[in-house]
Amino acid sequence: MIYKDEIETLPREALEALQFKRLQQTLERVYALVPFYKEAFRKANITPSDIKSLKDLHKLPFTTKEDLRDSYPYGMFSMPIDQVVRIHASSGTTGKPTVVGYSRIDIEEWSQLMARSFVACGITSKDIIQNAYGYGLFTGGLGAHYGAEKLGAAVIPISGGNTKKQIMIMVDFKSTVLTATPSYAQLLADTIEEMGLLDKINLRVGVFGAEPWSENMRQKLEEKLRINAMDIYGLSEIMGPGVAIECEAKEGLHIWEDAFIPEIIDPDTQEPLEDGQEGELVITTIKKQAMPLIRYRTKDITKIIKEPCKCGRTHRRIQKILGRSDDMIIIRGVNVFPSQIESVLMEIEGLAPHYQLIVDRQNNLDTLEVQVEVDSKIFSDEIRKLQGLQNQIQKDIKDILGITTKVTLVEPRTLQRSEGKAKRVIDKRKI
Amino acid sequence: MKSIKQISVFVENKPGRLLDVIEVLGGSDIDIKAISLADSSDFGIVRLICENPESAYKVINSSGFTASLTEVLAIAISDKPGSLAKVLRVLKESSINIEYMYGFSAKMKDHAVIIMKVSNLEETIKCCISNNVQILSENDIKSVV
Repeated sequence: MIYKDEIETLPREALEALQFKRLQQTLERVYALVPFYKEAFRKANITPSDIKSLKDLHKLPFTTKEDLRDSYPYGMFSMPIDQVVRIHASSGTTGKPTVVGYSRIDIEEWSQLMARSFVACGITSKDIIQNAYGYGLFTGGLGAHYGAEKLGAAVIPISGGNTKKQIMIMVDFKSTVLTATPSYAQLLADTIEEMGLLDKINLRVGVFGAEPWSENMRQKLEEKLRINAMDIYGLSEIMGPGVAIECEAKEGLHIWEDAFIPEIIDPDTQEPLEDGQEGELVITTIKKQAMPLIRYRTKDITKIIKEPCKCGRTHRRIQKILGRSDDMIIIRGVNVFPSQIESVLMEIEGLAPHYQLIVDRQNNLDTLEVQVEVDSKIFSDEIRKLQGLQNQIQKDIKDILGITTKVTLVEPRTLQRSEGKAKRVIDKRKI
Repeated sequence: MKSIKQISVFVENKPGRLLDVIEVLGGSDIDIKAISLADSSDFGIVRLICENPESAYKVINSSGFTASLTEVLAIAISDKPGSLAKVLRVLKESSINIEYMYGFSAKMKDHAVIIMKVSNLEETIKCCISNNVQILSENDIKSVV
């Protein structure tokens, strides 16, 4: 099924012409309205008129998460705040979030792309969508919500958590679609099984994203819940969920090329790579008003599949995300950088920055353990004081990053040291 | 100074770690007079009274453990019912808080020794002296324990 047949199956040539036209408009816009880009273009010795075709895209400077952080909160906006109708944010590396703004047209566009994405997953206006993505600053909840309404489906805005209630509603309301992070979907599936309610649910499609997940996990979710489990890709900086979506062929995710231009680069040399080669995904938004981004480095590792898809859509696909080019970890949908944990630890007097993060998945929920080495500066002969330190670290991380961690005190020099870059993260999750 | 030095050692709560500490001391011929182990769910603190605390501390520290020297009080009490209560009552009346304590038997006839870490060391010593509570010095420890 295709939602907007004409645009989704537009011949490549016409699609690329449309992309180029929108790229030019976007470049003019940011050059005139966003001081950051004016300066970045000047440094790169380029103006919008130097971009004469899509092939010139690589001449433009990159935008990074650090750039967004440096312009906190509104520095990247290309319109005055009175024309902005929505603000979302995602976690940043210093505790300050990365802020994104949307105009009324941006919200409409996002809703359209989400509706398109739902239809690509086989969802129709007759479906009852149980939206278990978190509602709030995180783009997942509201992004899926607006898309579901745009499509005309019935949306249940239950948000994340409250598992027993989720299941009661899923059974009683006869939900046919579940939107959630894959780890939460797995927790739901296991709990439904424990409660003996697998025969009582009416789910037929699951739309899972915001976290990396494997084919193996897909198979388990599909078998247990008897659904089609679909992968959705997005990031708040670019828009939110609905940047790319799997179609029923489940052979990669179509990236909506009428709104975004994807590129793959070598994360080390920053040189563009050919379609089919694995590297870091870079996205340029070409339809956004409030906060267009030029060549945004997503840090996600994938490749572009240019071969035509059997579904008939002409928009190229990206492979299921394979990993990240930085050390960011995603815990229950929250982005966490080791440097964020480090800065929390550094704030605590006397604490040596010898720490390690152990990521695991227990009972299908991501867990984060922070191991901190105890040296003579923080050591006390009283258990109470050391436990107080554990609690303080835990509380500070919770306050700043919003995630619950287990803090473990370990003996000095027990954590792995490596030459050069320290190995800060041990990910034991089997996804 | 009437207080004595205790060596406190941080150990992870896993098999063999206490043995490692003890073996390091044994390997340097250091006699352990008293030992206590305080534990939480994932770590513990070994508290040791040794004949020569400074050299014991050096040995432990150079073996890669996190350790500290802590001033504690060693108090001799007569080995009969009610004598510990008497000491505790004296401390209570001066509002002195005991952070932790442990006891062991001594070579002194009819006496036991308790080691305690208190909230106010100076005050506790004064209070003990004026109430005839017997405090043991490091030399006393060498001979009686």
